[in-house]
Amino acid sequence: MSENTATVGEARAPRVVLVGLASCFGCQINITNIERHLLAVLGQIELGYWQLTSSEPMPEAFDVAVIEGAVTTEEAAETVRALRERAACVIAIGSCAATGGIPAMAAGDLASHVEAVYGDGLPKACGVLRAPAPVSAVIDVDFTVSCCPIDPFEFVRVLDAALYGSNRLDVTATLCGQCAQGEGGCLYKRGQMCLGLVTRAGCGAKCPGLGRACNGCAGLSPDANVTAARAFAASRGFAPGRFDEALEMFNAVALAPAGEE
Amino acid sequence: MLYRVIDRADLPSLVAAFMERYEVVAPVRRGSFYAFEAIGDFSEIALDYPTTIASPKKYFLPATETLFEFDARENAVTDYVDEVRPRVLFGVHACDINGIMNLNSVFNDPRYPDPYYRAHQDATLIVGVSCTPGDTCFCHLMDSEEARPGYDLFLNAIGEAFLVSIGSVTAANILEGACDVREATDADRAAFRAATRARQEAFNGAIPDVQEIPMLMDAFHEDGFWDELGGRCLSCNACASVCPTCYCFDIRDTLDPGAETGRRERVWDACTSPQFAMVAGGHNFRSTAAERVRHRMYHKLNGFLATHDRSLCVGCGRCAAACKVGISPIEVLKFFERKGADDGE
Ligand code: SF4
Ligand code: SF4
Ligand code: SF4
Ligand code: SF4
Ligand code: SF4
Repeated sequence: MSENTATVGEARAPRVVLVGLASCFGCQINITNIERHLLAVLGQIELGYWQLTSSEPMPEAFDVAVIEGAVTTEEAAETVRALRERAACVIAIGSCAATGGIPAMAAGDLASHVEAVYGDGLPKACGVLRAPAPVSAVIDVDFTVSCCPIDPFEFVRVLDAALYGSNRLDVTATLCGQCAQGEGGCLYKRGQMCLGLVTRAGCGAKCPGLGRACNGCAGLSPDANVTAARAFAASRGFAPGRFDEALEMFNAVALAPAGEE
Repeated sequence: MLYRVIDRADLPSLVAAFMERYEVVAPVRRGSFYAFEAIGDFSEIALDYPTTIASPKKYFLPATETLFEFDARENAVTDYVDEVRPRVLFGVHACDINGIMNLNSVFNDPRYPDPYYRAHQDATLIVGVSCTPGDTCFCHLMDSEEARPGYDLFLNAIGEAFLVSIGSVTAANILEGACDVREATDADRAAFRAATRARQEAFNGAIPDVQEIPMLMDAFHEDGFWDELGGRCLSCNACASVCPTCYCFDIRDTLDPGAETGRRERVWDACTSPQFAMVAGGHNFRSTAAERVRHRMYHKLNGFLATHDRSLCVGCGRCAAACKVGISPIEVLKFFERKGADDGE
């Protein structure tokens, strides 16, 4: 990780750019929800580009590129390649950037989705469409802030890790362990289907903690045991088809090429 | 051991007396489950609870605990006082008291005593209560069906009264001050023996009593059984989260927004987590779920015993309830029983 740490001990504040691709911009907006801490966080960096707050153009040089959104066009793919070339460090934020997220639900059959929305006249402004994919499918990503939307404090933590390094290890355990710590009882015992079985831990099981099933926004853990999870869900009356369909909301890309079917 | 008898009707005043000087934590009902929580009134306590989702371990080893705070600009530790609350854990079952004893022997090891744990331990009184074993309880097979030391008071239910075993002077004084305490009579002792016998008979007979577990763990180290368990493990760590005796943790630094100050925290970790045995350079000594589950069971049923002379698992059965895919020491005991039956043929 250290070779990707943006600046250490340099006199100049690290230059950060924030770019939005196919997304709802909710993660970018959520960054401002750190409210009273916002100035302290921005004080550490030189914010070179943030469409949401300024129409200044993208600078030539920067250290950290923060990318929100899925790559859905060839133009976007070019954008992220260019960012990768110039940035010492790339941070993907939000489900769309991390897993393909909601846009990637169309990845399996792009043509029919395009037709359903635009008929046979795809507007020029759409650019050259490609199957929606996470940023990591196009370039190497150094850090990821998962979830839909991101937890803004998690963003701050990851930004700090990028700027100063961190002794925190990325873990791939799934969610039920964090959920058990909350002691709310498993939602399956209340007849609800929950994707925490295969979703990467990290959010602290926010949704089950509020009585709502996890829909997998943190992404499928690379160590998820989807087969065993499906079997468990089936034993509780949720057919594997339903489980898979629910998983597609945020994990269509991870499920497809991994050959889970 | 000193015994006294109090009436069930005395319990509210006992709890009220504790509340004057301590935070009282007790089992409370949460939907169809139970959890240990700080209470405000005796009426919140569900003293006849079967078990709780997670154990009272969290009051000795919080899931996240700040060890110190630092100033990142100065690269220096700043003053920090860990919050240690004088507390009474009220209504703890025997398995959990034995679990806490196991944690004590780990964190009070004279070679590396843990001041944070010790501070919580010293500030905590434990009031045990007798229980009726549920389907997944097997404390009797793990030598943990009885709390010998490890409590300040232990309430043994005998009908509408409690035979109270007294373990500390502090608690004895509070008991004497709050309740109408009387000497135990022969009838009380007979009732206690009857209750103990009834409890012994209530254990789930389908969980096999296997002798020489450590020896069997070694003998079947390479058995395909572990691949079977590993093949269905979800790598979720729920087992360790709910377990009264899992004590593994990770230590990490968290910067405050602005990165000028921060905290060093310890957080629960678990050997079922895929990265648990990963070392510098990236090698993972237990890269498969089968190795990880096997390791967990070894530590629970064998490894701890070698150093501390008792098994780490106290048979509380919580992991059996928490694990979605039926992995628990109970399955290991059943496996050994099957192996024994096979050999006998
Ligand atoms: S509610 Fe969801 S996250 Fe929680 S234990 Fe059940 S499956 Fe796991
Ligand atoms: S519980 Fe699931 S859906 Fe909710 S924030 Fe966490 S990962 Fe996302
Ligand atoms: S391993 Fe399971 S049964 Fe044993 S003490 Fe831990 S939670 Fe209880
Ligand atoms: S079973 Fe695993 S997590 Fe629990 S104490 Fe042992 S090594 Fe630690
Ligand atoms: S043994 Fe069960 S509870 Fe433990 S990590 Fe595996 S699936 Fe989760």
